[in-house]
Amino acid sequence: MTLRITIDIFSGRPNPVIELSGNEAREALSRLQPARALEEGEPMFPEEPTLGYRGLIVEQVDERMENLPGVFRLVHGDLFGPGFAHKAQDEYFEDFVYGRTGLITRLDLGQDLPQMIRQERDRFKEVRAKYKVKPSAWPKRRVCECGPRYEPTWWNDLGQRQFNNNCYNYATNYRTDTFAQPGLAAGSMYTALTCASVLPAAVADDLIDSPGADNNCPENGHLVALVIWPDVDFHWFRKGRNGRWTHKPGSTAATNRDNSGVIIPDPRTADRGPYTDFCTFMVVRHGHIKIR
Amino acid sequence: MVTSRSGESSESWIGGAFLFSGRPDPTWPVDEQVAGKLLAIWEGLEPWPGELPARPSLGYRGCFLRNDIGQEWFAYRGSVVLQMAEGSQSRSDPGRSFEKQLLASAPEGTLPGNLIRDD
Repeated sequence: MTLRITIDIFSGRPNPVIELSGNEAREALSRLQPARALEEGEPMFPEEPTLGYRGLIVEQVDERMENLPGVFRLVHGDLFGPGFAHKAQDEYFEDFVYGRTGLITRLDLGQDLPQMIRQERDRFKEVRAKYKVKPSAWPKRRVCECGPRYEPTWWNDLGQRQFNNNCYNYATNYRTDTFAQPGLAAGSMYTALTCASVLPAAVADDLIDSPGADNNCPENGHLVALVIWPDVDFHWFRKGRNGRWTHKPGSTAATNRDNSGVIIPDPRTADRGPYTDFCTFMVVRHGHIKIR
Repeated sequence: MVTSRSGESSESWIGGAFLFSGRPDPTWPVDEQVAGKLLAIWEGLEPWPGELPARPSLGYRGCFLRNDIGQEWFAYRGSVVLQMAEGSQSRSDPGRSFEKQLLASAPEGTLPGNLIRDD
């Protein structure tokens, strides 16, 4: 049996590694047996990566004890692995590693580094204190996993991106800086400002007409909606990852509000001003369309 | 306050409307005579008292008159705002005469009808 114990502390340099084998490894693992599960309100391991000390990474290299993950982390006496957060039997195992006669002395780390690691370990306690165990909840269902994120600040730059990309660019999430027109790239631009003319022009750009989508996200790509100001203009909305619709009226800013200042759960029922004709839902398959 | 060079013959004027979403917004040349009338209207307006009217995201969102020395008048729902390098001034046009006159200068077919609702 072999255990590889990595002191996870550096970003650029390789982390120090200690290897234990045979009885030494078995004894270490017996001290690292899970005791009780961590409870709500106890410090967790930070959800976001942090700089500095992040605990010991323990790898069971060949043989494996089934009640512990193949790779897990030990921090301040707590064990963390995939779906696994427990107290260790020996909450002071790290002292066994970092003590003045501990495993760390087997490494050639000079005099200062072991002391610095001990200080970092104490500092990391404060970091962990900010991340508490949360009450368990049903797994969150992503509403529209393939939908584009609502990133208005990227589009609303009061410059090149904002002024030269219209509702069609925004809805397809495709920046051309040309105020894209349905069908233009395919040589089949619309000839009238009606659903019957703009819809096939968009199909020529390889958008997929999905009249039965009924506001449901596709498995691949994302949903857009075509509306018409009869004989005057067309407009597009797009459905985002959070299931809400957003749009970019012409050269103005992208927004998640309709003409009444209300968020948009369904473009069919949104206040669309003069764009009174709802034509259809369509699907944009990422990388499949071409617009100009 | 002098706000234009309307007496100079080389000046060019552009009118436009913030209107569309998919199509580019329309612009059109405004002749000197119409520009002169608009400036006369502007000179007679009182200061705008409060916050400027909110604009909808879709549909008609106001119109503008621009000249080639960096001045732009923006008119919407009874307000007219002059923007220039030195700053901006807002004035009140309760009858929307600046806005109506400017929109009326657009060539036929450029703008849909009934842009200015009675609101």
